Amino acid sequence: MPEADSMSQVLFYYSTLPRIAMACLCGAALGLSGALLQRVLRNPIAEPSTLGISAGAQLALGATTIYAPGLLDLSREGVALAGGLAAMLLVLALSWRQGLRPVSVVLAGLVVGLTCGALSATLIQLNGEYLISLFIWGGGSLSQQGWGSVLALAPRLALGILAAALLLRPLTVLGLDDTAARSLGVALHATRLGILLLSVWLAASVVSLVGIIGFVGLAAPAFVRLAGARSPLWSPVMGAALLLLADTLTGTVPILGDDLVPTGAMTALLGGPMLLWMLPRLHALSGPADRGTGSGAGGRRSARPWLLIAALAAVLPLLCWVVLAAGAGDDFRELLPWRWPRLVAALAAGAMLGASGTVLQRLTGNPMASPEVLGISSGAGLGLAVLVLSVAAPGRLEQLGATTLGAALALAVMLLLARRGGFAPERMLLAGVALAATCGAALTVIMSSGNPRAFQLLGWLTGSTYSVEAPDALLAAGFAVIPLLLVAPLAARWLEILPLGETAARGLGIAIAPVRLCLILLAAVLSAAATLIVGPLSFAGLMAPHLARLIGLHRPLPQLAGAVLIGALLMGLSDWLSRSIAFPYQLPVGLFATLIGGPYLMWLLARPPGGRQGR
Amino acid sequence: MTAISRRAFLAGASALAAMPLAASASASASASPLRIAAVDWAMLETALALGIVPVAATELVHYRRWVVTPEMPDGVADLGLRGAPNLEVLVRSAPGLILSSHFYAGIRHRLARIAPVVDSTINMPGGNPYRRALEETAELGERLGTPDTARELIGRTEDAMDALAGRFGPRSVLLVSLGDARHVRTFGGDSLFGSVLERLGLVNAWRTATRFRATATVGLERLAEMPDATLVVLDPVPPGVWPALADSAIWQALPSVRDGRVVRLDAVNPFGGLPAARRFAELLARA
Repeated sequence: MPEADSMSQVLFYYSTLPRIAMACLCGAALGLSGALLQRVLRNPIAEPSTLGISAGAQLALGATTIYAPGLLDLSREGVALAGGLAAMLLVLALSWRQGLRPVSVVLAGLVVGLTCGALSATLIQLNGEYLISLFIWGGGSLSQQGWGSVLALAPRLALGILAAALLLRPLTVLGLDDTAARSLGVALHATRLGILLLSVWLAASVVSLVGIIGFVGLAAPAFVRLAGARSPLWSPVMGAALLLLADTLTGTVPILGDDLVPTGAMTALLGGPMLLWMLPRLHALSGPADRGTGSGAGGRRSARPWLLIAALAAVLPLLCWVVLAAGAGDDFRELLPWRWPRLVAALAAGAMLGASGTVLQRLTGNPMASPEVLGISSGAGLGLAVLVLSVAAPGRLEQLGATTLGAALALAVMLLLARRGGFAPERMLLAGVALAATCGAALTVIMSSGNPRAFQLLGWLTGSTYSVEAPDALLAAGFAVIPLLLVAPLAARWLEILPLGETAARGLGIAIAPVRLCLILLAAVLSAAATLIVGPLSFAGLMAPHLARLIGLHRPLPQLAGAVLIGALLMGLSDWLSRSIAFPYQLPVGLFATLIGGPYLMWLLARPPGGRQGR
Repeated sequence: MTAISRRAFLAGASALAAMPLAASASASASASPLRIAAVDWAMLETALALGIVPVAATELVHYRRWVVTPEMPDGVADLGLRGAPNLEVLVRSAPGLILSSHFYAGIRHRLARIAPVVDSTINMPGGNPYRRALEETAELGERLGTPDTARELIGRTEDAMDALAGRFGPRSVLLVSLGDARHVRTFGGDSLFGSVLERLGLVNAWRTATRFRATATVGLERLAEMPDATLVVLDPVPPGVWPALADSAIWQALPSVRDGRVVRLDAVNPFGGLPAARRFAELLARA
């Protein structure tokens, strides 16, 4: 027992030591959780934060802080656990009909996670001044003032490791495909469910005690695989080492002067580049292909696709009229100059995201690809963050320049990495996630500093057409229309051929690498321009291509046209809702795109696959 | 400009009579000859202290709860979030002058399209917010046609500061705002509160330069570096934090806490102007 008089001793026993212990425990719990999730879902990018668990826990904490603070006095841990579990159960329910197949689960996790994230961001924006704790939780700080958290987490981790050891054999079998596993007598659903629940429990425990610590769950198993170890039980060891290292660096490297740098953000800052660096070394990374689950979820093929597209196009002017005239009364002419620029910009951004998402999804053959997921949007966000922190009062033009530069840099990194791997789809997706996590971490560091300028950033991050003016709107419209008209017909042919496989494409006389490069550039430019307007979290780029496919637009050109129109409609509607639903308080437009599209996408995911399964 | 304002005024007054917001806006218009809209809170409270009731202002709900004085009368139109003032409502309330600050540099030219804009620079980094607040109150008084009231307000505030300064003696004070049970924010010399401490002859225990409000967030254990200071905890304290502090070994071991040198203050606007400075000083003297 330390002497109460000596403050340095008190600090050592109640702050330094428990912090070291906590770093090891949290790292181990997250590493184990990530390893289990990746094994059971057969997806190398599955981890607590990509499955919506962390976001669900954070949302529960935020909402409770505002609407039922009494519950927090009772049990903060319980609240976070409930949120994380609810998010995971929702994800499971949504992918249940697909037999909990890997791609479906991760897609549902992404949708749930983004929706929770959008809601949390809104809570912060409406009450942020007084909810510093939300920022801190988002950043995951390991700072300790006693042994309580260590004592709470240690037994849970021990139980988790024990359970994982018992489930080791069925886990190994799950690495095979479903038929093989079934023939070996493994109860597929029950085993998967058990392992999933175990992973959620571990992850939610960590979130409830220290906040969100991203990337350890992703990086630890990847490093273990890289080192050649087969047992998932090495992942906790690696996770503990990683987090301890990150926390030590956090304490010794001053990044923002005296500001607190949350360790959770630090792990992502370190882990992102590390994963990018080892990408070329990852070989047997992807599990069984399991193609077509997400992209084919329910969709029947329409016999007359262009009729559908014409119908969508007819809705557009109707929506514009409603948005421009609603509630204006006799002030229509007075208010028009304030309304049309944001509407036009929103439509343009939606169209660009829809196009960019379609190209990316077709290109990578991955239903989860989108500008948001590939890190291009986050790069733009980082550019703006650096500007806002370094210049006292940046103007519009400076903001535009900074975001463009950020997006371009992110794109350059992506291209460099993708080129080395010959633009292989999984690698690009993984590189994108790593890039997005790195940029996101840098933003979290800035946010959790509590710097008042962070609020300016937050407004943009959640996506706001608020700051758009007439010249910006016209520029955006030009950006959306010109490349789409010029490039779409050309791109459509490529997009049709590329998914047939490299051999088929070569046989048809297409040089794979340059074509891919062209398509990537197109997608990146479109999403960079859109991100300037609606922020990096809009979600439209992920959703629009899915919705187009789900209403029956399957071939590349109709899907592209459909996604462009759906993206525009979605954003136009969001812009209207964002400024009218809580009038006069204006909510972020990106939030509404997520809140409209998210649940719809969830419903479609949960629907039984009707009629003929898409490709 | 005048033509547009008059047209906007007429449009606002007639067309919007049906809307409750506009009705309230025109009701308060009769109270003041000059139609003022305030997007910045430091400017807002200064205007109210000068007896000018604006037709529209931002985040009224939060203002009443966290700024408290000077009191916000009924009948002011709500402009929505401070981060994104609703420009449509602003247009419709047809102000003759908009009170803003450097925080709104990004939308300044758009505000200027609606009405002339006055910018506050009280809470600029590296400055002395209290001294700047004194100057700005005088400037705003000139602009709003109430120079005598402004002089009087400045005089009363300075007198109050002089009177309060005698009461404290050169004590060391550490201002904190609790983030959660593990983290705090502290206020440095170039924050409004820091400059008021200086005016009162108190010593601000937090020496490191800050970003004109707080040093952002630091771990609770950092407070142990200033064992002699009296801890001043500012409201609001997030729910669940006080009970958690009772169990915190570090918090209980802090010399200030052990010796009972901890006081709590009611909410004050950390980004405020002269009225907030005075409210802060008075709350501090009462604690």
